[in-house]
Amino acid sequence: MPDWVIIIGKSLLLITVLFFLTKWLGKKQISQLNIFEYISGIVLGGIVAIHTIDPESNIFYGLIAMSVWFLIPFAVEFISLKSKSFRNFTEGKSTVFIQDGKIMEDNLKKEGYSTDDLLEKLRDNNVFLASDVEFAVLEPSGTLSVLPKKENQPLTAKDLGLKLAPQKEPQAVIMDGKVLLEPLANLSLNTNWLETELDKMNVSIENVFLAQADNNGQLTVDLYDDKIAVPEPTEKPLLLATLKKCQADLELFALATNNEETKQMYEKNSQKLKTAIDLVQFYLK
Amino acid sequence: MTVGSQVKTCFASVKSAEASLQMLAEKSYDQKSYQAFKETAVIISEIKSDLQKQVILLSKEEPQYN
Repeated sequence: MPDWVIIIGKSLLLITVLFFLTKWLGKKQISQLNIFEYISGIVLGGIVAIHTIDPESNIFYGLIAMSVWFLIPFAVEFISLKSKSFRNFTEGKSTVFIQDGKIMEDNLKKEGYSTDDLLEKLRDNNVFLASDVEFAVLEPSGTLSVLPKKENQPLTAKDLGLKLAPQKEPQAVIMDGKVLLEPLANLSLNTNWLETELDKMNVSIENVFLAQADNNGQLTVDLYDDKIAVPEPTEKPLLLATLKKCQADLELFALATNNEETKQMYEKNSQKLKTAIDLVQFYLK
Repeated sequence: MTVGSQVKTCFASVKSAEASLQMLAEKSYDQKSYQAFKETAVIISEIKSDLQKQVILLSKEEPQYN
C-alpha cells in the first residue's frame, strides 16, 4: 500500500476515535477545564497528530496510549463526582478574597494575586470600587465570583415588592415554515389553533420562518417576507383597557343616576370590577 | 346616547371581557395564571348579570328608545 493511503486510513480512524473520546470526556468548556484535564486533552491531540503524519508508526501503540490518556482522566472525573474529598484534591478549593467587605491579604498572597490582579478581576465583574464588595471568592477555575453589598446590587422586582406574572419558557411552534407538533402538544394546543391564529394575522404557514407561543397562548411570528408588517399581540392590553373602561363607566353611571338603589348597585359593581382588575392586571402586562 | 344605550354598551364590553378572560384561562398552561383568569371571569360574570337586569329595567322604562 502506498504511504498516502495509510495516512488517509489512519487519519480517518484516529479522527473517529478522538471524536468519541472527547465526547465521552464531557461537555465542559475549555475555560472550565482544570489544568489536568487541559493537559490530557493536549496529549490526546498530540498522540493523534504524531500517528497521522507518520506512516511508519504502529497505530496500535497510538491507540493504547490514547486509551490510557482517556481512561485516567475519565476515572478521575468519575471518582470526583462521587467523593467530595477527592474533588477537593483534584479540583482544588475556592479561596475567599474579600469577606465582610474586608480584603484578605494573606489569601491573596497565598494564591499569588497582586492588588492589581484583584482590582482587574473586580473590574471584570463591573466593580470599580473594592469597598462596594461584600464577599468575593476565587473559584478553583480561576474566576472571581463577587457578591456586591446589598445597596450596590441591581434593583429587582422583589426589592420593589412588585408582583409579577409567572413566566414559562416560550415554545417554538413553527420553524422554517414547518409546524412542530411536540412543542404544540406541550402547550396543549393543536394545529387548528395555530391556523386560526395565523389567519387572524393574515399570514400563511409557508411564509413563517419562526413562530413562538408563550404560556398564555400568545403567538409571535417572524416571516420570510420582511416587508409584511406583523401585528403585535394586542389581546391582553386590549382586555385590560376594556376592563378599566367598564369600571370608569360604572362609576359614571353611579354618579349620573338619582335612584338610590341603582346607584348602590353601580357602586358595588364598580368596586367589584376594581378588585378584579387588581387581581388580573399583572397577568395582562 | 341615552342612558339605556350607554348601559347597553358597557354591558357588551363586560361580556366581551368575560369571554376574553375565559379564553386566556383556557390557553394558559401555567396553574397560577389559569386560576387568576378564572377567578376574574367569575367576578365579571356577577357584574354582567347585575348589568343585564339594569339593561332590561331601563328598556322597560324607556321603551320608545328600543
